[in-house]
Amino acid sequence: MRSQAMFFQRRAGEALADPQLQKNFTGLRDKFVGMRARAVNAYERDFDELRDAGQAIRDRVLDNLDVWLELFEEKATQRGATVLWAKDGREICEQVVAIAQQHGAKKVIKSKSMLSEEAQLNVALTAAGIEPVETDLGEYILQLSGNEPPSHILAPAAHKNLDEVADLFAEKHGKPRKTEIPALTREAREALREHFLSADMGLSGGNFLIAETGSVALVTNEGNGRMVTTLPKVHVVITGIEKIVPTLEDFATLMRLLPRSATGQDISNYVSVCTGTKGADDSDGPEHTYFILVDNGRAGLVGSEFQPMLRCIRCGACMNHCPVYQSIGGHAYGWVYPGPMGSVLTSLYTGLENSLDLPHAATLCNQCGVVCPVRIPLPELLRKLREKQTERGLRPWSERLALSMWAWIAQRPGLYALATKIGVRYLNWLAGGADRIEVLGLAPGWTAGRDFPAPQGRTFKELYKQGQEKKT
Amino acid sequence: MKVALFVTCLVDLMRPSVGFAALRLLEAAGCEVVVPESQTCCGQPAFNSGDRRAAIALAQKTIAEFEGFDYLVAPSGSCPDQIRTEYPGLFLDDPDWRRRAEALAARTCELTQFLADVLKVSSVPGEFDGNVTYHDSCTGLRSLGIKRQPRQLLDKVRGLSVKEMPEAESCCGFGGTFAVKFGDISAAIAERKCVNLQAAAADAVVGGDLGCLINIEGKLRRMGDETTRVLHVAEVLAGTNGKLV
Repeated sequence: MRSQAMFFQRRAGEALADPQLQKNFTGLRDKFVGMRARAVNAYERDFDELRDAGQAIRDRVLDNLDVWLELFEEKATQRGATVLWAKDGREICEQVVAIAQQHGAKKVIKSKSMLSEEAQLNVALTAAGIEPVETDLGEYILQLSGNEPPSHILAPAAHKNLDEVADLFAEKHGKPRKTEIPALTREAREALREHFLSADMGLSGGNFLIAETGSVALVTNEGNGRMVTTLPKVHVVITGIEKIVPTLEDFATLMRLLPRSATGQDISNYVSVCTGTKGADDSDGPEHTYFILVDNGRAGLVGSEFQPMLRCIRCGACMNHCPVYQSIGGHAYGWVYPGPMGSVLTSLYTGLENSLDLPHAATLCNQCGVVCPVRIPLPELLRKLREKQTERGLRPWSERLALSMWAWIAQRPGLYALATKIGVRYLNWLAGGADRIEVLGLAPGWTAGRDFPAPQGRTFKELYKQGQEKKT
Repeated sequence: MKVALFVTCLVDLMRPSVGFAALRLLEAAGCEVVVPESQTCCGQPAFNSGDRRAAIALAQKTIAEFEGFDYLVAPSGSCPDQIRTEYPGLFLDDPDWRRRAEALAARTCELTQFLADVLKVSSVPGEFDGNVTYHDSCTGLRSLGIKRQPRQLLDKVRGLSVKEMPEAESCCGFGGTFAVKFGDISAAIAERKCVNLQAAAADAVVGGDLGCLINIEGKLRRMGDETTRVLHVAEVLAGTNGKLV
């Protein structure tokens, strides 16, 4: 997917100005935040200790990622799967199209895969004459709606409300408009069933790769993942190379963290661990299993100051709790991943210079950091990205000039005292005797949406000095 | 006990009454308070803007000015956090400065933390006739663990009672330069904070960081709320209640 992150400011503004979107966001925010809080409070042991354990598992993998990947490849191959490696999105597309052509597949059913979004796989499949069908309800809605990009990593159609989906289904399914959620999901299920039964190939992402067994684990709530991985003869898994965990035991630990952090569930409705191809005694399962393990920028983070980002298990808690994401939704971020984790990943995977706003579009409130199940220091990573931008001279000259002038003056106390003395008088003159400034020419961004309280009139240093002089 | 007051650049410029209130509180608690005259800014704006070089220069200046005292105390969560949490990391390749940074970090406190946990004061001079609601500023709360201390101290203010607002721990949308760079997003977050604090129906909203308070006051007034007062916790504890005395 080509990044649109350079339009962040404009698209954020559009989202803020859309009353319907704002309403949709409010409901979503309260739901996600409330559900996680309840699940974490109800957890019988210390959730922070669990977060420590989750971080330790992820760090152990990332410190020796090549070793674990080789072990995974060996175990998965032993169980009859084929392991392929893709450097970038283009290679993903080439490999998937080649597999589909090799097996004569004309229709591919997909359960949710964010990597297929990174690669724009649906475009490549369609161009090769292969029909992709999204079966995750949210992704299905977006596909019907003219291939809209997802706005949330768990709830891709989170920006849409019931009415919009009802209209969309009525139009695309050609059936009477329904307004109840159960009726709408039934209609989607009926439409999807045909695709499940007629597809030649299933394509899924993977929440975890388990090294000791060569398995992929899928965590879903809709059951579509089960269909995608068992009905067609061919199953292709596309995941990032960082998704590996050493053992089933480690997987179990991370499963205590993931659903609670994501949707506030103790456990998701479905947890599938798929290992290899259909065996002689198995009643179902694919005859051919392929793993496409993708780099697309990940290997470059190993060993760098941004390695902690690779711990991410894609729960979405950071965006659910982010005041910025809560206000503008996911589309403004412009690429596959929104919110705090998205601002870091988009900058690192699509280029700092293509996403200049993203690391700055955060208040650094650290709400994301305290809910992250694997303790990724997201504000710190965002700040490091800001440093990288400065080092590479990517910030606007006006900002650099203002910052260096301020820093230069702040290192010279006499000059600083004079500058603040003048500054405070200037602000008071602007206020014109009132207790607030309504338009601040130097910072129009501030006063467009709120007033700027007037200062008290003299700096602390002036007043303190006067007081000291009086005393002596 | 010799305490150096770090006024903070925002208080110096915008609201000196907060600095004088902090001074009064520390003196009332029996500290010998010094206000180093050459202090300017801890460098956090540079640090958070990605200008490490400027952040280091200002950190060195601040360390040199404040390392000779028993404590550095500031009426803010975010500046002490910069000194406590970030200063040592600025000198990874410079053992001498790193040692000095760590030494200062260990003796740096936010005001309410210092009064409640270090001095363990049993009374405060403040008097306030009414209800207040407390906004927990992000950095103080999540990095320094300041939550109980301001409430514990506000409980000692005669005539005052604390009424909690919904989502007291949510960000107000200030975020330093964020508030100017992304003014529309910042104002939207501030609006939600204001709706929440109005739900507490308190006479005043009180907080420990002036940046948040300026943001909240500006938004409240723009929303037409002319009655909810916006006060720094130091002002309430000292009994000056916003007045420059």
